[in-house]
Amino acid sequence: MLGNTKNETNIKLPFSFILFSLPCLIGSMALILFQGDSIINSQFRVPAIWSAAHLFILGWALMTAMGAMYQLVPVAFLTPIWNERFGFIQFAVTAFGILFFAHSLFHNPESALVPGLITLTGILMFLLQMFMTLRKQAKPNVLTLFVGTALFSLLTAILLGIIMVFSMKTGFISDYYQAVFKSHILLGTAGWFTLLIFGFSYKMVPMFSLSHGYSMKPAKYVFTFYAAGLSAAVISFFTEKNSLLTIALMFLAGGFAFFTWHMLQILKRRVKKKLDYSFRFALLAIPAGLAIHLGAFLCSLTGSFESTIGYLAFAYLLLWVALSIMGYLFKIIPFLWWTWKYSKEIGKRNVPSLKEMMNDKASIPVLSAFILGILSMTVSIANEHMVMFLSGQILTVGASLVFCYLIISVIKK
Amino acid sequence: MNPEELVLSNLKRVMDPELNINVVDLGLIYDIDFSGDGKAVITMTLTTPGCPLHDSIISGVKYCIEDLKQFSAVEVNLVWEPAWTPARMTPEANQLLRG
Repeated sequence: MLGNTKNETNIKLPFSFILFSLPCLIGSMALILFQGDSIINSQFRVPAIWSAAHLFILGWALMTAMGAMYQLVPVAFLTPIWNERFGFIQFAVTAFGILFFAHSLFHNPESALVPGLITLTGILMFLLQMFMTLRKQAKPNVLTLFVGTALFSLLTAILLGIIMVFSMKTGFISDYYQAVFKSHILLGTAGWFTLLIFGFSYKMVPMFSLSHGYSMKPAKYVFTFYAAGLSAAVISFFTEKNSLLTIALMFLAGGFAFFTWHMLQILKRRVKKKLDYSFRFALLAIPAGLAIHLGAFLCSLTGSFESTIGYLAFAYLLLWVALSIMGYLFKIIPFLWWTWKYSKEIGKRNVPSLKEMMNDKASIPVLSAFILGILSMTVSIANEHMVMFLSGQILTVGASLVFCYLIISVIKK
Repeated sequence: MNPEELVLSNLKRVMDPELNINVVDLGLIYDIDFSGDGKAVITMTLTTPGCPLHDSIISGVKYCIEDLKQFSAVEVNLVWEPAWTPARMTPEANQLLRG
């Protein structure tokens, strides 16, 4: 019986991804600091901003998500990682590709095809790894649907990104460039990150709150609404039908609202009354994400979507995606290090609890400063206010630096 | 102390590091059985099927029984049915979690 429970991944694999991602977070935030003029004027299509955006999304958020998945997929789906050695090679290829890609976007975007293809190779290797791992799952469930669709969205987003670079170089399908660009952004953010966070929230929220006896039936409606919204939005980009985009945004907001309601139902059934502070920040990202979804729908309804999407997308990435990841990392990193250092000692001697591995209370000032910085930057973009942008971004860079320090300091425990 | 009490007492050394409560007070131990050849068979569960501490807790349980000279071998059966519920916790564990 004991033999088939060995699902733990070699801890060096998720750690490699997460440690690599930390300088990418600081680098991307620092790059944005010097692009205030362009950002407050909603000029996002600037090489330095492309570079910062990809360093942030691919270098930090994607690499962190991959690292977390190498750890969480085996335990959440009760199946070991298909091939760990392949995982280390995938890490090396992806890390090299992302750094090369961000560098090319900054200096010469037209030469970004080769590094883009290397990054694509790394991501395809990751997708193969996950496909081979998930297909071994004995009983697929609704989580498989969320995570599987998130992985499919990631694949599509990356392929669309490569088509964009190819189109810039050769003029291939240039008539559809805008539709491809919008689909790339949508599937890379809402399709990949949101569905992934939804999926793992269904595992992590009950686990960290010790909730029991709740129904999982609403998860099907969350998925149906959100997936319908994503599909309709992509169709609206290619058909250029604004009314369809409004309907799509309504479905996306509806799916997110269902998810928020479902999370509340789960939390109502919790045994652990006092939740960890960092976990509360991960939960706080949910109403933030809902507000942004509702905002996008209302803007589309009033015809102001095109002029507001820049800062809505900015707030979406940072207040929903980044805040969720940061909140959960406060829980995941101590667990990873604890497993590495104390897993074999449990029962043999006194071992520290996970709470003793990281200062949970430190998440209050750090993540509050991060939120405040992002809010102030979002408002500054809306009001084209440079001083507010700079003070907000300095706060965000500072919070990111302390966040990275706290993550690394776990290794000393 | 009878063998079951001895095993339970030793298993209290295995703490769930997330909750900081031992596996006995959490109600994770379903059954303890002893075969004639000195083997202890533990049937247990975890608070959730996707618990990331899966392997660590089970190896801790195994070690704690192997540590007892009275038993020549140990087998740990991890089961998900019946599923764990908070009702299985001792009042002390309940108090700790509910504050």
